Amino acid sequence: MLRIAAEATLGDLELDVAAEVAAGECLALAGPSGAGKSSVLRVISGLLRPRRGSVACGERVWLDTERGIDLPPDERRCGYVFQDYALFPHLSAWQNVAYALTRLPRRERRPRAVELLERFGLGDRAEARPRTLSGGERQRVAVARALAVEPAALLLDEPLSALDARTRAAAGRELAAVLHAAGVPALLVTHDFQEAALLGDRVGVMDGGRIVQLGTAGELAAEPASPFVADFTGAVVLTGVAAPAADGLTRVTLDGGGEVTSPEPAAGPVAVTVYPWEIALAPRGTIDPGSARNHLDVEIVSVTAVGSRVRVGLAAPQPLAAELTGPAVTAMHIAPGQRAVATWKATATRLLPLTPQGSDEVRH
Amino acid sequence: MRSAWFGIATGVALAAALAFLTLPVVAIFVDSPPADLISALGEEGALDALWLSLKTTAAALAIIVVVGTPAAYLLATRRFPARALVITLVELPLVLPPAVAGIALLAALGPSLTFTTGAVVVALTFVASPFYLRQAQAAFASVDRSWLEASRTLGASEARTFARVAIPTAVPGLMAGGALALGRALGEFGATLMFAGSLQGVTQTAPLAIYQRFSTDFDAALALSAVLVAVSAAILLTAKLFGGWDAADRR
Amino acid sequence: MRWLLIAALLVALAGCGDDDELVVSAASSLTEPLTTCSGDDVKLAFGGSDELAAQIRQGVKPDVYAAANMELPNELYEEGLLEEPLTFAFNELVIAVPDGSEITAVGALARPGVKLAIGAETVPVGSYTRAALSRLPPEQERKILGNVRSEEPDVKGVVGKLTQGAADAGFVYRTDLVDGLKAVALPQRLQPNVAYGAAAVKGAGDDARRYLASLNGGACAEALRAAGFGTP
Repeated sequence: MLRIAAEATLGDLELDVAAEVAAGECLALAGPSGAGKSSVLRVISGLLRPRRGSVACGERVWLDTERGIDLPPDERRCGYVFQDYALFPHLSAWQNVAYALTRLPRRERRPRAVELLERFGLGDRAEARPRTLSGGERQRVAVARALAVEPAALLLDEPLSALDARTRAAAGRELAAVLHAAGVPALLVTHDFQEAALLGDRVGVMDGGRIVQLGTAGELAAEPASPFVADFTGAVVLTGVAAPAADGLTRVTLDGGGEVTSPEPAAGPVAVTVYPWEIALAPRGTIDPGSARNHLDVEIVSVTAVGSRVRVGLAAPQPLAAELTGPAVTAMHIAPGQRAVATWKATATRLLPLTPQGSDEVRH
Repeated sequence: MRSAWFGIATGVALAAALAFLTLPVVAIFVDSPPADLISALGEEGALDALWLSLKTTAAALAIIVVVGTPAAYLLATRRFPARALVITLVELPLVLPPAVAGIALLAALGPSLTFTTGAVVVALTFVASPFYLRQAQAAFASVDRSWLEASRTLGASEARTFARVAIPTAVPGLMAGGALALGRALGEFGATLMFAGSLQGVTQTAPLAIYQRFSTDFDAALALSAVLVAVSAAILLTAKLFGGWDAADRR
Repeated sequence: MRWLLIAALLVALAGCGDDDELVVSAASSLTEPLTTCSGDDVKLAFGGSDELAAQIRQGVKPDVYAAANMELPNELYEEGLLEEPLTFAFNELVIAVPDGSEITAVGALARPGVKLAIGAETVPVGSYTRAALSRLPPEQERKILGNVRSEEPDVKGVVGKLTQGAADAGFVYRTDLVDGLKAVALPQRLQPNVAYGAAAVKGAGDDARRYLASLNGGACAEALRAAGFGTP
């Protein structure tokens, strides 16, 4: 069990976090850049000393400002995978890994290092210098090196962001397996919610130095605690003013035009969230105005293939997006400039109260 | 049209600089036929002077590197109060004219060392250290911070990080600093004369020997100068090769 | 190096084409008197007489050359670089010791452990010193030379080693003594004839000759006497 609590002032940012990660679990901290995510890793590893805080890993206390305990990084057995991997350029792959093996007698270091590399499929690249390795290979050497310490906890800083899109998916699956096999608490930071969802057993969304919501990826997506979290997890966010309606539902008048209905009670300025995969498109004039679905007149702005799905950008005039399959897009002859109707269930319409600052959080 | 003019102007500037810097050096070799060079070397005192210069410069350089490398590392990687002041202080000998350096050493250490070879080493160390310290500091400062941090997280102490990561990756800069310091030490004259004196075999280094010869035996001065130039060039080339090879091996 | 600075200075001055200014190269032992007696339109460059002679040989052209011996001006005269030199002053070679020193005679310099500073062979004060020592019995001369710790390129350097407390004794001109040093006179039979020679450099104008006249019997001769030099 890894426990951390820390308060620190970093330039303009006030960091104030607390979290627990169980052995074998991976907690992913996700948030925009500048949210303080990497600082959390630096506090845990001992590279940054917070104004106040404590870090404990299992039985061992690594940091406790109240009691004056502050172990230097080399005394905390914390495996750290840096954002650019930080492989030593003057050492070969196996030498990089062996750097952590000083507890072994000299003649055992190379075999053990090569063994670790082989686990990552890099046995034949053991003699290579980092500059001759591909991005994916470097990432694996970095992870192998961090594991060589036999760490009590694993820290990873944007482990997939330096990889190109194609390598990322495979590397992500590999890394998820490695994390589970390692059996130690793992803390990972990323700016990409999808990456966090893929690798983390739980996800913590960070903003402005604080963890604003903690839960599984599904919980965060289904019940975002704030428009910021909703936006960050990929939801469509529309703003408007809500008022209770005669039938017990809530009617929301959207800024810029349009009206939607939601079963959630609310009044005043609200953010309306719905997920792109919950939105369907239909040609104008085909919708029965009495149905229980929300309808919004939209203009098609863009059509983008994302993996096996197609993301259709829309304007109502507020921006939103629908996710459809390729065949559906072709069948409906969807193209930019056309007019259509976006529909989704009233029950899929979530409402979140909007503070005046909150409307700023919704990035349009 | 305009870009052609600029290219020509800068080309002329470079040619002028090159000529100004290389002509005197070339003149040394042109003026003395090789036979003269060799015989002048065999002359009384010439070899003594060269040997003394090499010995004292090597000793000074050893002190500078052993003490200066960790010092430069501290300056480059830690923030501490009055850091800017400390940096200015260690750079001071750089801007001191050699005679002032000599006076400074006398004022600080008194005449007890005068007339000894040790005094020569002290004078050379004093004037040459800032050259090394500045380069070494810059070299360590440009080492990627994340390598040093990674080393710490992998269980290495500060000392091990310094020895196993910082120094190997900073080597090209350290070599450059060493070459500069060596050149400065080899050519030191004023401070040595004031602080140590000039006696063949004990304190008369090559520059002092050249100075003594030039008024009565210009050819001998030329010969000794030529040898000194050749030695300096050889050292500089070695340092460049070493540093360059390492730099190509990185990243 | 000093030679570079002096040469640069002389070249700049001589080549300046400023006819109002007289450029004088003089032995460093003449520093104090000549600085006092020369007018504002005279530019003085001091250094070891041998060093200044070498510069003239290399093509540097002051207007007047004043050395601490007659040999160097005569050599340059024979090489056609100077007009005929004349003797304008005399000096005395003495042993300088710090005040309170126990050295009172030249014999004391032969004692083991005595630290001696003299001029380099090629500098007049150095050759005078060796000439004086050569008149001693060979064993004594050997011991004294064995005590030499530094051969300075300039008499000011010898004085410096004495004033900074590094040397126990040194051979300088009487006119070079400063506060804190006292002279031990040499026996007459050892005293070399220290005659200072000066001449106009070939091609110099009348101002040069006027300056030489001043050295010989004019304002500068006065200054030399005041400083302790002998005059003819």
